[in-house]
Amino acid sequence: MSATTPPPALPSSQNTSNKLLNSIPILSQSFNRKKDYSIRCEFENNNSQRWTVGCVSGTDPIHIILKPPSFPMASATALSSSTVKNAKRVCLFYCNEMKDLAERIASQSDAIELRSITWRTFEDGFPNLFISNAHGIRGQHVAFLASFSSPGVIFEQLSVIYALPKLFVSSFTLVLPFFPTGTSERMEDEGDVATAFTLARILSNTPVPRGGPTSLVIFDIHALQERFYFGDNILPCFESGIPLLLNRLQQLPDSDNISLAFPDDGAWKRFHKQLQHFPMIVCAKVREGDQRIVRIKEGDPAGRHVVIVDDLVQSGGTLTECQKVLARHGAQKISAYVTHGIFPNRSWQRFNHDKGGSPENGMTYFWITDSCPRTVKEVKDKKPFEVLSLAAPIAAALQI
Amino acid sequence: MEISTVKKNKQVLLYYCVEMEDVAHKIASESDSILLHSINWRSFADGFPNLFINNAHDIRGQHVAFLASFSSPAVIFEQLSVIFALPRLFVASFTLVLPFFPTGTFERMEEEGDVATAFTMARIISNIPMSRGGPTSLVIYDIHALQERFYFGDNVLPLFETGIPLLQRRLQLLPDSENIVIAFPDDGAWKRFHKQLVHYPTVICTKVREGDKRIVRLKEGNPAGCHVVIVDDLVQSGGTLIECQKVLAAHGASKVSAYVTHGIFPKRSWERFLHKNDGSEKAFTYFWTTDSCPHTVKAIANKAPFEVISLAGSIADALQI
Repeated sequence: MSATTPPPALPSSQNTSNKLLNSIPILSQSFNRKKDYSIRCEFENNNSQRWTVGCVSGTDPIHIILKPPSFPMASATALSSSTVKNAKRVCLFYCNEMKDLAERIASQSDAIELRSITWRTFEDGFPNLFISNAHGIRGQHVAFLASFSSPGVIFEQLSVIYALPKLFVSSFTLVLPFFPTGTSERMEDEGDVATAFTLARILSNTPVPRGGPTSLVIFDIHALQERFYFGDNILPCFESGIPLLLNRLQQLPDSDNISLAFPDDGAWKRFHKQLQHFPMIVCAKVREGDQRIVRIKEGDPAGRHVVIVDDLVQSGGTLTECQKVLARHGAQKISAYVTHGIFPNRSWQRFNHDKGGSPENGMTYFWITDSCPRTVKEVKDKKPFEVLSLAAPIAAALQI
Repeated sequence: MEISTVKKNKQVLLYYCVEMEDVAHKIASESDSILLHSINWRSFADGFPNLFINNAHDIRGQHVAFLASFSSPAVIFEQLSVIFALPRLFVASFTLVLPFFPTGTFERMEEEGDVATAFTMARIISNIPMSRGGPTSLVIYDIHALQERFYFGDNVLPLFETGIPLLQRRLQLLPDSENIVIAFPDDGAWKRFHKQLVHYPTVICTKVREGDKRIVRLKEGNPAGCHVVIVDDLVQSGGTLIECQKVLAAHGASKVSAYVTHGIFPKRSWERFLHKNDGSEKAFTYFWTTDSCPHTVKAIANKAPFEVISLAGSIADALQI
């Protein structure tokens, strides 16, 4: 099994290209044919640091465990500032709906410690919040794991986000894996209201703690131009879930028969550089009279296990159309990956498992991350869904 | 020849949130200078707002206002999106009318770790973009704690109004207006409101601790034989008002009424004030509140002892500032 792009030492998805390695992996695995299996790879990167990447599938969600080099194993030259930085202790607070992911992040690293907030409401429905051990976070690096799954939960989390930086912390990081709004809205007429801009503005006004502007970690933001919506008092850090997909694809028995499909040029532009080793198919929507139909623009799916890749899914209409077109053109199996499984109104229900049969009837896998916790709960143990956890990349991002 | 000191009325285009539609119509009917404009309030499938400001071109160079109501956290984001967008449409000025400023009524900053949601709210509002007319004007009625006025940044101009003049007018219409005494449930309420009600005798209550319990006692004044009107800025469960009423009645008040600017009444707590038709004594003769809390207004419509006094006239005047 060839080594793949590792979640890098100091990650930024733009830097993955120079961390690509061809070193021979040391495979030590235990195959448990019953249900779950675990694979552990060790490899060395350019700086002679030994990383361990473990994938445990059969847990739910799939846990990709990233273990940075521990001190005894690191060579003398590797005792650089990067390994010292890796030991940055972080106090991690989190909103209720992200509790599971927070626990997974904390289990990634001894340096990350979970802290709690008491989330209550007053009689009038407004939040009654208390940050436990507020004195204890003075001089510490502090982070908050947020989730704005609906407008109703924004205000309570915002109150905490605005309060934490002012408690004499040494730095503050806001982790918002999924940045909502802006996915369906169009600014076409004067009068269209950009709620994405509203949200960016509100976040940009997070107070500046010691240690400079708050860092804001977002995964696969829907439109790259949204990065410019943020003011200078916040430092957006744009991450991607694609490395998790890469890891997962490498584990598949037919990993050498995989082609990637993008539902439109936009998706191709955004993701193809992180997925360079796979043959690619690009789809496009063309107008035929009143209808808009998905066509294949480039690439050939015949006989391949095609994985459709996009940043998010809402109703699933686009993915379904792509699936039909790919099946018609002879794909052997079809799977899908989206970082954010929004699935309003339980729209995930339209995706069936192919059960080993024809790709017209269903998908082999549908991968989502745990950026949208409500969906994660709903699709638990339901094929074809598998959840890839963002815990490892988040733990790494917290070390920036 | 008399030189008119009355300024020409400025024309104001008034947008409003869904729950304040009735109040908005009342405001517009108070003055020919106030015109209503509408917003399309929809949501996308994922629950996030899909908003459109109608007549966005026509509001260029006009004075524009938005009548908001943050009755629950869930409705804040959609209104904020409009509030942040309107000032940037080349309007001549922008005013945010938020009759009731929520949060801060229960919370106490006692320990490090207490989160001041009132400050969060003020911060968000303070970041409303400026328009060509400069900072946004922010109209709030009877803000709960006067120190909250200092929570706002310099990019907004808070205008703190009060509903007490409306109460005064209503009291003057009562048949027993000569026999009215104003009661304050605590020193705080007295400090805030007594100067606007100087013509009436006053009674001040206070809460004292007796063991584990907190009991309302009469601190100053004499309610005997009078129609006592308890005045406060807001009511939540109503517990304080009921305790005050009992004490006042015990000291001989012939009638007890209440006025609060903001009838929050979470979880239908207004029900405990209703006149029952079983011949039992009416605890409160009148219970006046304004239309700052639209959900309550709907619930208590035509239910004695409640009477709603509208802020519309006062808001229409404030929009001329």
